[in-house]
Amino acid sequence: MRIDFFLVMAALLFTIGCVGVLVRRNIIVMLMCIEIMLNAVNLTFIAFSHELQSMTGQVFALFVITVAACEAAVGLAIVLALYRRRRTTDADDASLLRW
Amino acid sequence: MDPRLPALLLESTAKIALIFFVNLTAIAYLTWLERRVSAWIQDRRGPNRVGPFGLLQPLADGVKFIFKEAITPPQAHVVLYLLAPVIIFVPAMATFAVIPFGPSLEILGRTIPLHVADVDSGVLVILGLSSLGVYGIALAGWSSNNKYSLLGGLRSSAQLISYEMALGFAVVGVLMATGSLRLTDVVTHQMQYGWNILWQLPGFLIFLIAAFAETNRLPFDLPEAESELVAGYHTEYSGMRFSMFYMAEYANMITASALAVTMYLGGYHVPGLHLLNLPPNVAAIVQVAAFTAKTAFFLFVYVWVRWTLPRFRYDQLMNIGWKGLLPLALAHILWVAFLILMEWA
Amino acid sequence: MHLLTGLVIVVMAAALVRAVAPGKPILTALGGGIAAAALLVAFHQDLAGTDFWAGTIGFLAILSALIVVIHPNPMVSVLSLILNLICLALFYLMLQAQTLAILQVIVYAGAIMVLFVFVIMLLNLRAEEGLRIGRGVQRWGAIAGGIGFATLVLWALRHRQGHAWMEPGRHAGEFGTAASLGGLLFGQYVFATEAASVLLIAAMVGAVLLAKRRLE
Repeated sequence: MRIDFFLVMAALLFTIGCVGVLVRRNIIVMLMCIEIMLNAVNLTFIAFSHELQSMTGQVFALFVITVAACEAAVGLAIVLALYRRRRTTDADDASLLRW
Repeated sequence: MDPRLPALLLESTAKIALIFFVNLTAIAYLTWLERRVSAWIQDRRGPNRVGPFGLLQPLADGVKFIFKEAITPPQAHVVLYLLAPVIIFVPAMATFAVIPFGPSLEILGRTIPLHVADVDSGVLVILGLSSLGVYGIALAGWSSNNKYSLLGGLRSSAQLISYEMALGFAVVGVLMATGSLRLTDVVTHQMQYGWNILWQLPGFLIFLIAAFAETNRLPFDLPEAESELVAGYHTEYSGMRFSMFYMAEYANMITASALAVTMYLGGYHVPGLHLLNLPPNVAAIVQVAAFTAKTAFFLFVYVWVRWTLPRFRYDQLMNIGWKGLLPLALAHILWVAFLILMEWA
Repeated sequence: MHLLTGLVIVVMAAALVRAVAPGKPILTALGGGIAAAALLVAFHQDLAGTDFWAGTIGFLAILSALIVVIHPNPMVSVLSLILNLICLALFYLMLQAQTLAILQVIVYAGAIMVLFVFVIMLLNLRAEEGLRIGRGVQRWGAIAGGIGFATLVLWALRHRQGHAWMEPGRHAGEFGTAASLGGLLFGQYVFATEAASVLLIAAMVGAVLLAKRRLE
């Protein structure tokens, strides 16, 4: 079977994640949709690494996983701090800097 | 279809069925062992009425659990509530797929290796499965709609992921010495260079302590302590579902013991067996028996420690995990690196 | 046999059972399950090929991603994201990236998602809220953008140089193993590895500082 199957799958997942970030209001679910997008990118990396027979794709996929871990940790810490001040996890409520 | 596939499927199914059956029986009799050993430590008799030496007690307990009423709390999230015991139980049993029980058996002209799967990254599979087991406890705590369960589930999950790191580092020490991620290679390396416990004693102790924490056993069992949190994350479970949690805890114990044996005590290796010049099948069976005996010894240690030590308070527990075991594990890795440099292990 | 046709048959069987005996969800699921089992037995040659499994796992991945986006309960979203990550790990396994597959399960599905579960448990989020779906110009713009993107992707794939066939046994023995990955990490990309470790420490310090309860 062709690699294209995985590339289409990754594009679909990326779109679903993108739509999720735009549509959901809960910050934690938005963070999860960002994780879906990062995973779609990983799938593309690994599909191409298989086609071009190069391990570099897998190395970069590992770095993407690392960065996703850092971003999830810091993002969730921010959500916790926000919740302690404002008692809400709605992204629309964090609007103090909006004019 | 590959012509070797049916024979391979039959062989794998037979091995899986055997391991599953032995595991379930072991879990049942582990409860018996626990009660007898705890009675011995506390200078009283254990169960000795049901069958000779109380050996049919687990059967009686199982029948009791089946007949108990299974109450579902009213506001609980039903799907997750029912799924949680399964999520704990499955990784505990699935880990046995990669543990080598013995060398190969020669039956009817076929060489049957005594492990279900010889995966390239065997050790990582075990770490991955234990990471997935954390979800069962978290979900059990959350879906019960009960503040004691929630707190117990939170505490227990935090404890598990903290000690997973120390466990991983101890395992890294073993892997550095072996040079490969396959568990069969770990055993073969120990046959050649001596058991890992001799060279890596600090790592072994870290592994053991982390394994105690990972299986929620005393002295790290605050999340399910009766005096603290009613019963922690399994407060709202009754009947067969509660017994699934119980079985999962014992299955985790057996898995951790088998892992400790494989990584530090040479797995199925019996030193000096080749001097006896036994036929290969008999030697294989002796080695499987040796593996079982070593695992049984570790299970006894688990039960022994439970009834000897008091339990840690939660902040003490987390302090030990992060501020005590982790730096020790890092120092241990330096020690193993030194060993490899000197080519002693 | 086309996977899609099989799926449609299973869904129709479940719908038939539901129409005959409504109000019995177990019977419906049983009807669907029997249809699936019958199809699997009838076409068991397909089970050994990669197409069937790739299609099934792909279907499960897309379904779980949709559930993450659509379901109002955050805990269900997290669980379906975990399922998605495990499906992706199976994809990596199919693409000869064994070490990365198991690392994805350990790190992503086993640690990062536990973090999400923790936060949801700590904040005790059960709230459900409506989705922010736009109307009018926004909606038509989104639909047009979606169709445009899909056209772009399909056009780019159709006109790619070299359509590679994926054969699971195509590569040399060292592809995808931990040894080759480690060799690259500490060889050619050692700077990136060290930078990633600094990033991890920075993230750890940042997370601890941000989430600390200030003693007022």
